[in-house]
Amino acid sequence: MLTGLSMIGGYVLCAFSFSLQNGSYGNAIDIFTLDHTGHIQIHKENYLKRPKIHKTINNAEEIGRLLEVEADIVSFSARVFAPALAYGDAKTSPASIFGIDVEKEPQTSRITQKVQQGEYFSASMNADGFYSAMIGQGLANTLKMNVGDELVLISQGADGSIANDIYVVSAIVGNKTSHDRQGVYLPLAAAQEFLSLGNDVHEVVIVVDHRDDARGIARTLQDKMPDVTVSPWQVVEATFFKTMEADQEGNYFTMAIIIFIVFIGVLNTVLMSVLERTREFGVLRAIGSRPINIVQMVFLETMLLALISIGIGMVLSLPLILWFTEVGFLLAEPIDAGGVAFQHLRGEFSAFVFFAPMALILSFAAVVSIPPGLRAARVLPRDALGAH
Amino acid sequence: MSNAVETDRVEHDPVRTNVIETREVCRYFGTEEMQVIALDHVSLTIEKGEFTAIIGPSGSGKTTLLHLIGGLDNPSSGTIELSGENIATMSGTQLADFRRDHIGFIFQAYNLIPVLSAEENIEYIMLLQGISADRRKKRVQEMLAMVGLEGMGARRPAQLSGGQQQRVAVARAMASHPDIILADEPTANLDTKTGISLLDVMRDLNEQHNMTFVFSTHDEKIMERATRLIHLRDGAVEKDERK
Repeated sequence: MLTGLSMIGGYVLCAFSFSLQNGSYGNAIDIFTLDHTGHIQIHKENYLKRPKIHKTINNAEEIGRLLEVEADIVSFSARVFAPALAYGDAKTSPASIFGIDVEKEPQTSRITQKVQQGEYFSASMNADGFYSAMIGQGLANTLKMNVGDELVLISQGADGSIANDIYVVSAIVGNKTSHDRQGVYLPLAAAQEFLSLGNDVHEVVIVVDHRDDARGIARTLQDKMPDVTVSPWQVVEATFFKTMEADQEGNYFTMAIIIFIVFIGVLNTVLMSVLERTREFGVLRAIGSRPINIVQMVFLETMLLALISIGIGMVLSLPLILWFTEVGFLLAEPIDAGGVAFQHLRGEFSAFVFFAPMALILSFAAVVSIPPGLRAARVLPRDALGAH
Repeated sequence: MSNAVETDRVEHDPVRTNVIETREVCRYFGTEEMQVIALDHVSLTIEKGEFTAIIGPSGSGKTTLLHLIGGLDNPSSGTIELSGENIATMSGTQLADFRRDHIGFIFQAYNLIPVLSAEENIEYIMLLQGISADRRKKRVQEMLAMVGLEGMGARRPAQLSGGQQQRVAVARAMASHPDIILADEPTANLDTKTGISLLDVMRDLNEQHNMTFVFSTHDEKIMERATRLIHLRDGAVEKDERK
């Protein structure tokens, strides 16, 4: 009973911990992938390591046609980037230009949700012949700009020319901590024209059905597009991903230690049970059981107990994890993710959350059943039957 | 003989009539300084179909001899041949298989597995032998009928009387169709009437199936029914009389 309870407790704890960890990281991954990185990015070779204005993709339309037929791809969008100097009424500030596809970008990122003031811009010029721009909260504060103000940008074109133009601020996006707080969003065509890029882009960002499939899809796309570099989010955000993996490994190790401690108790109980059943094992040996039959018996009994405990643990943890995934814990302070606030800490409801602890517990059960099994198999019928 | 799994099984010569043969068997316990001689150069031969009782006072070596014959213990010296096979040369697995296929045990304390039903206790040895489920079920019912426990197969040992438990033990011992049944004080925990009833069952089996029975006992009822009495005293054969 106690052995079963400790296994049930171990399973529930383990499943909940995996759900919490994977849910937290899932949320974090969704925050940055759906904020700006997407699940997969396509660049000119080496652009990610050393971004340069002239490292462009010149066949974006062809890539677009290829991506449209991929079943696992939900959406994609092209972007251009460049540094610039932004002028307001009386102030200047460095800024980052993000040229985005006005129609497709909202399907690949949370850009529309990040609009704090004004409206999401259109791709066309206004009646005065100016394109719209959306600026980051930081830049708006520095330049003391509001919606409707004129913004002057100066930069260098890809052909070496001086780029300068006037834009009308249509919206202020994000907040002071957003990655785009110093950003200036321009319609893609306007940014290409401003930077003399023609139809070239720097990046094609892709969102897929399941983020965990990103690496496999990226590999497939890479095979189809050898002249560009296709990077899953794990490469784009390599530092985060490595940190996450290290943290997850640490958590798995901690869980393994907890389960190990649980199973020291299980081992003790099974050993005690074997001692109490010495006579029974002696009888079984006397009537013709091979030692291996006895080892198998103890092994199967322990595994059966583990399976029953796991079954009960699953029944208990299923509603708990479902609630944790759907509702989650209300955070005392919302987490700000680039201007989008997250109120709840949620878990993950997946096969991994339920089957990884199962595999862990079954593995430990199998290991701890062996010493008692061997001990039972070594019982001498003569001694067990109390001959002398 | 049963349909046992053939791996490691030691076959015996069916034409031999000596099913048990001990030669100069000694068994010592304890250290060299404090040695207890349990059996002292015991040589005897038991033929197929004998209903033999090993008798003697407590500490005379009856149970030790029975355990040695059953391969539950190893002699300090001497040889023991069962159905022509020297069991001292067998590996642990071979010995287990030999016990499974050729020897049936009946213990004073019944020693049924408490968590198994009467049927399952009887069936277990056939499971080890690899007999199919259908044949096992059929034979279990035959065995229960043979010991007069029809309809009680589903009961666990705790739900049976001492006599009924010992009948299940007899059925278990018989289930594998062994050559030899070794019974250690089988009636010691039973009242007179139950003991006689059980002995009659075993005597019938002996007569009908020519099965070899070896008892260690103090029970006069067994001695009366035995065809041979081997008297042990201080670990040695004092007298060997056939009726």
